Formats: sequence, C-alpha cells, structure tokens
Amino acid sequence: MKLRHLMLGAAAAFALAPVAAMAERGSDGQLNIIYWQAPSTLNPYLSGGTKEVESASLVLESMARFDSDGNLVPFMAEDIPTVENGGVAEDLTSITWTLREGLLWSDGTPVTANDAVFTWEYCTHPEGGCAQASYFDGVESVEALDDRTVRVNFAAPKPFPYTAFVGSESPIIQAAQFADCLGAAAPECTEANFGPIGTGPFVVEEFRPNDVITFVANEHYRNPDQPAFARVVFKGGGDAASAARSVLETGEFDYAWNLQIDPTLLAEMEANGIGTVVTAFGTSVERLHLNQFNPDPALGDARSTAEGGPHPFLTNPVIGQAMSMAIDRALLVEIGYGAGGQPTCNVLPAPALYASTANDGCLTQDIAGANALLDEAGIVDSDGDGVREYEGTPLRVLYQTSTNAVRQDTQALIKQWWAEIGIDAELRNIDASVFFGGDPASPDTFQKFYADVEMYTNNFAGVDPEAYMANWRCNEIPGPDTQWQGSNIQRFCSEEYDALVTEMSQTAPLEERGRLAREMNDMLMQSYSIIPLIHRGGVSAHANSLGGVRMSDWDSELWNIAEWYRIDE
Amino acid sequence: MLTFTIRRLFMAIPTLLFISLIIFLILDLAPSDPTASLPLTIPPEVRAEIRASLGLDEPIHIRFALWLQQFFVNEPLNLIEQWTGLTIGDGDRTRVISWQTRSPVVDIIAQRMPQTLWVVGTAYVVGILIALPIGIYSAYRQYSIFDQAGTFITMVGFSVPPFFSGVLVIVIFAVQLGWFPSVYDTTHVVVDWDSFVVQLKQMILPVMVLALQITSQISRFMRASMLDNLNQDYVRTARAKGLTESVVVMVHVLRNSMIPVVTVIALGVPQVFGGAIITEQVFKVNGLGHLLIGAIQGGDIPTVQTLTFIFAVLIVLFNLIADVLYGILDPRIRYD
Amino acid sequence: MFDTAQRKKLVSVNGLKMYFPIHTGLLRRHTGDVKAVDDVSFDIYEGETLGLVGESGCGKSTCGRAVLRLYDPTAGTIEVDGTDISTTSQSGLRKMRPVMQMVFQDPQASLNPRMSVADIIGEPLREHTKKSKAERLDRIYELMDAVGLNRDFANRYPHEFSGGQRQRIGIARALALNPKFIVCDEPIAALDVSIQAQVVNLLEDLQSELGLTYLFISHDLSMVRHIADRVAVMYLGKVVELAPREGLYDDPKHPYTVALLSAVPEPDPAAHDSANRVILQGDVPSPSNPPQGCNFCTRCPKVMDICKQLDPEFREIEPGRFVACHLYNQ
Repeated sequence: MKLRHLMLGAAAAFALAPVAAMAERGSDGQLNIIYWQAPSTLNPYLSGGTKEVESASLVLESMARFDSDGNLVPFMAEDIPTVENGGVAEDLTSITWTLREGLLWSDGTPVTANDAVFTWEYCTHPEGGCAQASYFDGVESVEALDDRTVRVNFAAPKPFPYTAFVGSESPIIQAAQFADCLGAAAPECTEANFGPIGTGPFVVEEFRPNDVITFVANEHYRNPDQPAFARVVFKGGGDAASAARSVLETGEFDYAWNLQIDPTLLAEMEANGIGTVVTAFGTSVERLHLNQFNPDPALGDARSTAEGGPHPFLTNPVIGQAMSMAIDRALLVEIGYGAGGQPTCNVLPAPALYASTANDGCLTQDIAGANALLDEAGIVDSDGDGVREYEGTPLRVLYQTSTNAVRQDTQALIKQWWAEIGIDAELRNIDASVFFGGDPASPDTFQKFYADVEMYTNNFAGVDPEAYMANWRCNEIPGPDTQWQGSNIQRFCSEEYDALVTEMSQTAPLEERGRLAREMNDMLMQSYSIIPLIHRGGVSAHANSLGGVRMSDWDSELWNIAEWYRIDE
Repeated sequence: MLTFTIRRLFMAIPTLLFISLIIFLILDLAPSDPTASLPLTIPPEVRAEIRASLGLDEPIHIRFALWLQQFFVNEPLNLIEQWTGLTIGDGDRTRVISWQTRSPVVDIIAQRMPQTLWVVGTAYVVGILIALPIGIYSAYRQYSIFDQAGTFITMVGFSVPPFFSGVLVIVIFAVQLGWFPSVYDTTHVVVDWDSFVVQLKQMILPVMVLALQITSQISRFMRASMLDNLNQDYVRTARAKGLTESVVVMVHVLRNSMIPVVTVIALGVPQVFGGAIITEQVFKVNGLGHLLIGAIQGGDIPTVQTLTFIFAVLIVLFNLIADVLYGILDPRIRYD
Repeated sequence: MFDTAQRKKLVSVNGLKMYFPIHTGLLRRHTGDVKAVDDVSFDIYEGETLGLVGESGCGKSTCGRAVLRLYDPTAGTIEVDGTDISTTSQSGLRKMRPVMQMVFQDPQASLNPRMSVADIIGEPLREHTKKSKAERLDRIYELMDAVGLNRDFANRYPHEFSGGQRQRIGIARALALNPKFIVCDEPIAALDVSIQAQVVNLLEDLQSELGLTYLFISHDLSMVRHIADRVAVMYLGKVVELAPREGLYDDPKHPYTVALLSAVPEPDPAAHDSANRVILQGDVPSPSNPPQGCNFCTRCPKVMDICKQLDPEFREIEPGRFVACHLYNQ
C-alpha cells in the first residue's frame, strides 16, 4: 500500500515492535497509569482534550488507528480501504469500511454498521456541540450497506478520506447506549458519558471525573489473549514533575504522560534506572508569528486588521530572515525541551513525505550574517540608539506569548539575540486561558494578535496536512467581521499560495500531495511571516517492567495498550 | 440564644443571595473560556458550537436565574427524591451541570467530599491536638527552650509553603526511604486491618504537611491567649486559694483561654471543606480543592460557582456557630 | 497607743528582697534587676492592721504578694504564724494557704469570669476541706451572708455584679477557709468613693468578729488612717518609716512621710490655704537603677552630703517608731 510505504521513512527513529508476550488475558495483574491532567469525561465527542481522548481510547475504538510510525492499522475494520482494493471510490467521493467479523461490544452484543451511522448522526447533531465535528467535515452521509459494511459519502472528492472513524478522536460509539443522548440531551447522559460501551481491550469499572478511572479487561475483546493486564488504574492529578517522579523514582506507576519538565531534571530521574523516558514526534511546532498587519495601538479597533494596513516593517522578508538567523534553536531545545524537542526550520516538519529540506540553513545561528543582511538592505541604526530603523521606523517589536516558564525563558533568550542585531523586543506574557480563550471581547487573545510577534505551538491531528496548510489562505485571516475567528494568525496572504491549497484539495496521488505541501511550507518559510523554532514531541515515561509500549504522536499514546505486558524480572 | 440564632439565619439569606450574585458576576467578567483548554486543532466553528451547547450565548440574567433555579429548587428536590425514593412532579429537572464533565456538579462534589474530609479533616484534628498542648506549655514556660523551639517550628510552619514542604517530604519519605506512597489512592477502600494500614500510610504525608500549618496557626493562638490569661489577677487569686498548679493552669487559665481559640477553630472548619488546593495537588488527593482549581483552569463556571457558593454558605454558617459557641463559653456574653 | 511588746507576732518579715530580672539584647542576657522590694523588714501583731502606704510603683503591692509567697522572694525570711514560708515549696505552701489570704485590688479581674459566685467561693473549700457538697453550700451561704451578699446570687457570674458587690465576693472567697491573716491589696482603689466606706467598714466588722489580722495596702492616706493601727511608708522598694498611726500622722519623722502627708487633701478650705505643703521636685528614680546612698536623696528637701553616699539604716528611734533617715542618726 502506497501510504504505508511512504510513511516508513519515519520509522527509522523508532525501535521495531517488541515481540508480543504470549500471555493469557488478565495474567499480568494491574497496570498503573498517571495522567497528571485527569480526564473529565470518557466521551471524546464531548471534550476534545487529549486526556479525555486518550483515556477513552482504552474503551472506544475506531475503524483504524495510526501506529507509532504514522501507518494506518485496521482496528474495528477488516482492512484499510484504498483505491487499489476498491474501498475508496475512483472519484474519491466515498470510502467503504468493512467491520471485522464477529466483532462484539463489551456488553456482548454485536457491532453493526448502524453504530457507525449513529456515531455520525451523534457528532453532527447541530445542538450537540460535538468537539470532534471537524472529523466529519465534508461528509455528506454515512450509510449502512449491510450489517458489516459502512459507506462514508463525501460532498466533494476527498483525496485523503481517512478522517471519519479513523484515529482515537473519532471512535465508534454504541447506538443502543447513546440513542437518547442526541443533541441537547448529550450532557444529561452522564452514565453513558462516564462509562461508554466499546470494543477496546478494557471496560470501565468506575469513573471519577477529574480524579481516577479503573478499567478491567474486556472479556469480549476480539483477541482472546489480550489484554495482558486484568486491571488498569488511570490516575489523574498533581503536576508533570510529580508524575515523572512516581514512574522514574518511586516506581508507584507504570506509565506517565506529558512530562514537559526541566530536561535536566527528567534526565536525572531517568538515571535511577527504574523507568525509561520515551518520546514521539508528531506535527507540533513551536513557532513565531510575525504580524503582517499593523498592530499600532493608535489605530484603535483597526489594529491588526486589513483596515489598519500592512505592518511597517515585518512585511519585509529580509527583516524576518535576519530575526530567524539570529536564533540559536539548538540552545532553546537544550534549555527548555530536552528529549521533547528538535530544532526545526519548517512549520510542517512531519510526516517525512511532507517535510521540506529547503530551509535547513536556519539550524545554525548566524548573528553576523543577520547583521550583514540588514546592513546590505540598508536597514541600519541611523540615530545611534542601538536599534535599526526601516524607512524611519525603529525596529521595536512587542513579543507576546502565553504564561509558561519555558516560553518566558525562550522569550528572554530571543530578546537578547535580537538586541544583538539591532531589534528591540518588549516582552509580554498572557495567561493561557485568556491567550487561547478566544473571547472576542478580550484584547489579549492570540487571534486578535495586538502585538508584532507572538509565539505558541500548533499542530494538526492525523497525518494529512491538507486542512492544516489551508490555514494560511487569505480568507482565514481573523478580523472583526468573523468575530476574530480564523486560523491565519500572522495574516499572510498570497494568491499563489491559495492556488496551491486549491490544487492540493483536488490531488490524490501522495507524492504529488507531498510536493504541494512542501511547496506551500517553503512559500510560508520564505515569506518569513512564520519563524519555526522547535519541533515538539510528546514526552512520556514507562517503567522498565512494562513492555509493548510503542508511543505514537499520530494517535492516542495508548493506541496499542492491548499489547502491553509485564516483563518478568 | 435561640431567637438570636434564628434571626441570624434569616439575615443570612439575603447575604448569601447577594454573595451568589457577586460570584456569578465576577466569574462572568473573568476572561475564561471553557473551550480554551481544548487542543488548537479543534476549529473555531466547533468551539462556537460547544459554547452554544453550554448555554453561554444566553444573556447573563437568564443564566443567573437558571443557576438559582437549578441550585435552590432542582437540586434540593433531587436530593429529597434520592433519599425518599418519591418522584416529585415529573422528575425531569435540569441539574447544575459541569461544563468539563457534563455531569451534575453536586454529584461530583459528593464524590470528592470523602477524600477531602478524610485528609484535610484528619490533618485539622491532628493539628489541633498537637497545637493545644504546645501552645499551653509554651505560654506557661514563656521564653524557655521549649517555647523558643516551638516559636521556631511554628515560624517554619507558617512560612514554608506546602508546595515546598510537600515535595520535600515526598523526596525524603517516598523517594529516599520508600516508607510511604507519594500518590494518594482515592479508590482505596478500608475493609480490614491491612487495608486500614495502607490507608494510614497514604494519609501520613499529606496529613503531616497540612497539620504543620494548622499546628503553627493554632498553637500561636493558644499561646497568645494563654499568655493573656496567665497574667490576669484571677490566676493570682486561684494561686492564693492554694490550688495546685495544674488546677490553676488547666482549669482556670485554660478554660478562659479556650474561648477565643475555640472560635478560631470553628471559623477554620469551612477551610477543611474547601480542601487544601496545593497539598491536594502535590499528593494527588483529588478532593474539593483539586476540583475547584481544575474547574477554574478549565473555565467550568457552574462548578466554580456552585463550589464557591457552598463555601460561602459554610463560612456564614460557621461564623454563626462561632458566635453561638462564644456565647456558650463566655458567660459575659448574652445574645438577647 | 498599743503596747506592742505584749502582743504576739503573727507575721514577721525580715530583710525581704524581691528583684525582677531584666533581660535585654538578642540573647536575652540578664543585664540588671528591678528592685521592686529592697530589704524590707516589719512585724505584724495578731489582731492588728498594718497599713502599707506609698506612691504607685513604690513596691507595696509586690511586697504584699511576696509576703504571701505569690512571688518567690529573692532574699529574706517571712514567718507566718510561726512558720518560715520564704523557701517552702509551692506544694508545701498550699497547706499554709488557709491561714493567709488576699483581697485583690481589681475585683473584676481577680475573679475568674467563667465561674459562678458559688464556684469561686466554694473552690478553696473543695481544695482544702473534706466538706460534702451540701456542707460546702451551707458555708458558701454563710459567707455570703457575712459579707452582705444576697444568697440568690450564688449562681450568677462576676460580670453581673457591681464593683462593690464583686469586692464582697472577693472578701467572702478570702474568708472561706477561716484565715488568720489577710493581705488587702488596695481593696478599695477600684471602687466608687460611696462604696469604699462600705467595704472598709465590712473589713473592720469582719476583723472584730473573726479576730483577723490585716496587711492593708493603700495609697489613700486618709483611709489608712481610718483603718490601720500602725503604718509603714514605702519609697522605692524600701520602708522608710514605720510607726503607730497617731504618731505617724501627728508627727511624721521622715521627710518623705512629711511630704506625703502634706499632700492629703484638707477638707477645711481655710486650713487648705494655710497648709504648709511640701512639694517634691523631680520624678521617682527607676527601681532598676536606684540612686547611690539614700533612695530619697534625689528629691529630699533636707538632703545632706552623707545621704548621697550612705544608705541610712532602718532604726528604732523611739519605742515603736522606726525611721530610715540620716537626720535621726546623730
């Protein structure tokens, strides 16, 4: 299969799957997992948070999941439908999934195609507020061809049809259990939301919101030998450092998630030899957005909008390039991210098919080069105050981000480097719940971007970057007319780019899609409206006595928990 | 006293209604968004729909009236139904629903209460039991070595924040010595002696950290109050009567010194229910404090509103209890 | 005037010193003493009232309390009813408590606010006698009658009484164990003038009925003249003059006594104007740092050179009259 073949490139970084233990179901006792942010519900359609999606992935499954290399692995489905095997229509307007034979819900009833149809209805109900509705974007209808066959029909050709019912974020829920929970009634079905019936290796025994979940092995799980663990305790609470400690130092827990802590501290803890730190890189990139519109407070409501006009100097790619060259990304990784980060020069760093190599020059810091570049362009410090002027405007920027220790360290370093090339930065940090809060009335949201430069991390779910790259179309620019909604945060606009987006949406062959994505990435990079800094990965840790962990950033980290086992020492 | 109590209870009603309005307005003005903690991969249209499904697009007075109805009418009726098994009306009422979990807030609070009461409550009791003798003896032997050491320890207890002392005891007793667990297991059920020992072990560290703070506070109160009374003339009278020193201190001085201390203890009880946000976080005792902070971070306004309001009720109630206790303990005070 | 030699000494105080240490600095080092009572000697005879007068802060209350061993004296001996109590342990003292009692200055503060009148009066009975509950109650009522308190008030608390009534409670309490010797520490200072006379008369009546011996501490010279048989005058921790009442008031010897008596208000306006007042200059020196020589030399109108060098001896200059002054040392 082409897709699988192309994604193998990413596989090199990871060890091959360990040999699955030949154990009986439930023979390995209890597995203790700690997620320091505790899940608040087990219905991923009602909360889009990672913690909810990943905890629910023990119970709820989808047709297929992505493995640690980004390859599709059939779960509820018999195989992966492709154009070659006839599962995907030639005109790319439908995909047909076939459920495994004899697949049972954990209550013993058979899974049918109607459950998939119901799931689609559930998430697309207009009053339901479904958090994963974007997985059903472009889906015109879902129909049950027979008990085991589901066809997803798209309104327009969909070159990458593996969205609905693929991955942990769009699992199939049981129609019988959620029948009365459609639309506005969804939140009232507490029992169902806290204990969904699924096909996964575990069944919810008790759910305490934001505290702890206990699971027991699903006796109807399709593989009679799995899962190896009889019980899973899924504990929440505390912070990342204490979660790391409970796995790497006290050994009370077997697996800890999201350990974004001081990298040297984490390395010290790992040196105890009780557990191992594991990482997986997806598509998260910590980046700087350079505002292409003028955020001058004097403009009042017109600032950072088309009405306010272009930015006085950040629209000049030479300045952006110099700002990028001045940054020592390797040092930022060392100080703030450790194993959980890699320097990057692309906003689209993965999967390998889509990763461009055209911009790798930024990996080495070059302050002298940046100074030379600016001097050459005639952007010099004419009044001797240490800050260069561009057409009379001094290069002074307001640089904002969310409140977070690592981000503030990064800000301070970058401010210093920029000072060395004659650019003065004023730093500001805003509480994350406000910054990412999206309140149209607040002046401090990242969408409003009332600053010159802002920094945060974004990524896309799954492996296909089409929707992600479409973020930077002209009509995605946030503004007052759209209630500041829109994902083109830096306000980049190019007809040429928009044309590439349209082309990609009509192109099916993967190599061609790869080329288009790389081209778009390079166009963004060379506009220097985005300066990528760090390719961020998930950092987790597991006890050395826990086998079978194959961490994936393309799906739930716990995607293959059925295969986990206890290593006897 | 009874009329005083009843009058005060009636006066509390408008106070509490006003408090609930203030809490609601503050929460509404606060820049928080329940969808802010979701991954950025969730598009804005979906976020808008989520907000609409939470009822956030209704005007503020409607939302407040709805909360009032849910909290003061629907929840009590629901409780009565649960206790008696009767169905009142059609039994179909909307309860206060948390935005994070989409489940009734009151149920979550009921679920969290035991952990908090066990850990924070035990710490409170332990803290008081340690504090009283220390305070009494420190005052009786003012400026002795014991008193100086006590002053030093209480100063440490006051000034060292639990996020430091908590992590310190974890590193010492859980990581280095391995005596106690660093993570509190809220699902643990005590059924026999062994499971009781497990429960005891997991409670020791958080109780120790919290009790240090409580001891510091109350032993200082006890000491100050004892010192106030030790120099009173009636103590000299008691000695002149030829009473033994223990009777003088434990009966005459202590009983008078307990009046302010008992009220301080009573006023501290609402804090027990409020949980200990930081200590709960450090030891992962997911009690009410943890619930509150999680709800604040997640922009879960119904949970924050309900919890803070319940705290307000408890504070008003325990203020009243403290007043009544004062009246009982001190014959000089009469409420008529 | 009494023929003191014939009477039995009930209390004998010899060279009593009561120093309170001063601790200063970071390490609270002992850097000095407040010499509240500095070498005081006097006797009290059975059935008499010894008045102890002086300015506030002169150490008279401390002296009274030290006599009852409510303080542990620094030096000196105290003999009460033939027993030296100056070094007895507190538990040993408890056995002596029924013999010696005290009436305090502030009737409000000296009564435990959380105990009823019956409890306050009855507590010493419970502690020192084996009386049954009913017997105790009888005794409480008896005592309340004796001090003129209504029996119905037995279950009330001190704050429900007026100042005069509270002082009666304090007296009843002191009388509970049939003491021989009572120290009255300014018992009337906190009371209204109208009540003062009632309380003093009560004390006098009780004395004659029960044969009590009083050490009556006061700064009110007219009241002391009324109640006391002999009077001791204190200045800065020392007794400067001790004399029978008439002798002292008619012919004060010590210059301080002269000054003190001249300050007593004179009810007759004519006499008031002609009164030959002695106005003392300056302030009382600090008891932590008394002057060299005679304590009074800094303010004495008749000061001599010797006064600034030698502390005058407390001597009997006439039978029954003791003075500590160089004027009488020739």
